[in-house]
Amino acid sequence: MSLQTPLPATIGLPRLIAGGLVRYGLILALVAVFAAFSVATPTFLTPANLQSILVNNFTLLAIVSIAMTFAVASGGIDLSVGTAMDFASFAFVSLVLAGQPVAVAALAGLAAGAFVGAFNALLISRIGVSPFLATLGTLFIGRSVQQLLTNGGNPVYLPPNGVPEAFRFLGHGTIAGFPVPLAAAIVVIAAAAVVFARTRFGRVILSIGIQPGVVRYSGIAAPAHVAVTFILVGLIAAIAGLILTATVTTYIPSSGNAFLLNAIGATFIGTTLSPLGRPNVGGTVLGALLLSIVANGLLLTDLNFYWQQVGTGTLIFAVLALSFINRKAAGTA
Amino acid sequence: MSAEVEFAPSGFSAAEPPPRPAGNIAAAALRFGSLIAFAAILIIFSLTAPYFLSIGNIGNVLGQSAISGVLAIGLTIVLIAGGSNVVTGGIDLSLAANMGLSAAVYASLTQLGYGDATAIAAAILTGALIGTVNAIAVVYAGIVPLLTTLAVMNVVAGLELVLTGNTVLPASTPFLSALSASDAFGIPVLAYVLLGFTAITTAIVQYTPLGLCLYAVGEFPDAARAAGLPLRRLLAGAFVASGVSGGIAGILSVSYLSGSTTGAGEMLLPVVVTALLGSVFSRRLVPTITGTLLSALLVGFLVNGFQLLNISSTLVSGVQGVLILIVVSATTLLRRQEA
Repeated sequence: MSLQTPLPATIGLPRLIAGGLVRYGLILALVAVFAAFSVATPTFLTPANLQSILVNNFTLLAIVSIAMTFAVASGGIDLSVGTAMDFASFAFVSLVLAGQPVAVAALAGLAAGAFVGAFNALLISRIGVSPFLATLGTLFIGRSVQQLLTNGGNPVYLPPNGVPEAFRFLGHGTIAGFPVPLAAAIVVIAAAAVVFARTRFGRVILSIGIQPGVVRYSGIAAPAHVAVTFILVGLIAAIAGLILTATVTTYIPSSGNAFLLNAIGATFIGTTLSPLGRPNVGGTVLGALLLSIVANGLLLTDLNFYWQQVGTGTLIFAVLALSFINRKAAGTA
Repeated sequence: MSAEVEFAPSGFSAAEPPPRPAGNIAAAALRFGSLIAFAAILIIFSLTAPYFLSIGNIGNVLGQSAISGVLAIGLTIVLIAGGSNVVTGGIDLSLAANMGLSAAVYASLTQLGYGDATAIAAAILTGALIGTVNAIAVVYAGIVPLLTTLAVMNVVAGLELVLTGNTVLPASTPFLSALSASDAFGIPVLAYVLLGFTAITTAIVQYTPLGLCLYAVGEFPDAARAAGLPLRRLLAGAFVASGVSGGIAGILSVSYLSGSTTGAGEMLLPVVVTALLGSVFSRRLVPTITGTLLSALLVGFLVNGFQLLNISSTLVSGVQGVLILIVVSATTLLRRQEA
């Protein structure tokens, strides 16, 4: 829409409906998918399954997607979130296996994730490499390093009887009946929401994403903010890595990469379906929830496993297409 | 200047802004630096592995690079028409999955008893169809390419699983045998296919007005619109062309592996790296078809040299990562110096 287009004297009903569809498109999509699976499968709407969606599907994806949201908010993207997860996971398992206390091992894991982030930060903010290319390079190097560390990609198992209690707690424990991984995800989500809504740092990185030039002219140290953002991305991804490791009590090389594309999907679904078209924590969480529900629901249908992938892709595609077409109709595109 | 003609499409230089000496020096330094690095790698390998520089081995590398080369060239067309921003600009993440599905279509048709002509047409049509879906979604629904092709990649990879049941479909036809054969010098036919494909796309993209339009759409969309270029049709065409490349790569992979196999998705990131690396072999550091061919061969020679020296192939992705970081960092630093 060019600036010359005169504003309509009255907002017509079709435009109002289309605008509403954009505003609530993601929630509508969630409700529709939820309703469809409730009708289509007998077991979807049981409490046990709903809990399974949250704990098994949603938790890790949500945390990684929040990490991705920070990267996208600053105008970039991080293809190495899986690498940060894997490095954290490897450090964690190795140190636990070496007999170190779980707390020490967990801290080392977080440090390993932050290290991956710092490597990206160096490339992006000091040298000026575009985030896509920098993190792509990190992803490739990380894959090689993991294979070298594990003799060509062998998993590192913890012996079943040698798993410390605190380790098990992180993956399978409950706090007052509430699963620990889910609690961790909620803490990460809440913290991210606070950072974006209430802190100067959050506002600055959003502005860098929207108008980098303006930020530069206003005297804000944009590179430093971007650097902190990417270290933060690595750190948050590391949390997901620790939880993944604690859940399966194994480090599997390059397993974190499985989350990469879905995290990008969740973040961008949240971005495109939000009223402002900006990366935002709420949208990302709803996006991750949508993907989790679709993954779980398709699993419960009688569909062949292979058709499930087709179904997921088609659904994401349909949601995106509808939102963009609506946006055009509403004149906000 | 004459040395640069090979990399500098004459059709495009007309649209260049007036040359900035500092920028040219920086770009030339990087381009020659990367060519020197390429040569150094070749020399090191040929000194340490005697067989490396034989005609048969070079042919082998060309043949082994054929599939990723064709895919990377397809992606390069999208990079050219979509512009340099990888998130909102040109990217086609569905290419590797496209190759997998096209290969599966080819293999299953031959298993059903159809002839080569039908199978070839169907594989290329499959690729073109996937490209068309991308094109419609990007150009007419306005979804950013990264998301569009991500979703399409999922759908296509799923369809491949449905079609093949995640198993290997063997295929053998006269055409496939001819493709996987070698000539009298021991050079695989696939090597010639790669060179032929590169020559044709180079001719179209670097030496015709159509190719010039693609660059204009990608780099200066506003100017292109002002000049009355059909922006949407050109961008859509680039996605369809990329899809067709996926179909062709699918046929090549059926011939190379004697059937359709699973795990095509693993080709994706190496192909993206190859296409992105290609721009260091061009005069203005933009994506070009010949640049992409050179970068595909660079990766091919690296893998091959490692194999001959018995160095673990797991190092290849690490070397690719280091390469892309060095190249991109150097580009960025040189550009900053010039500014």
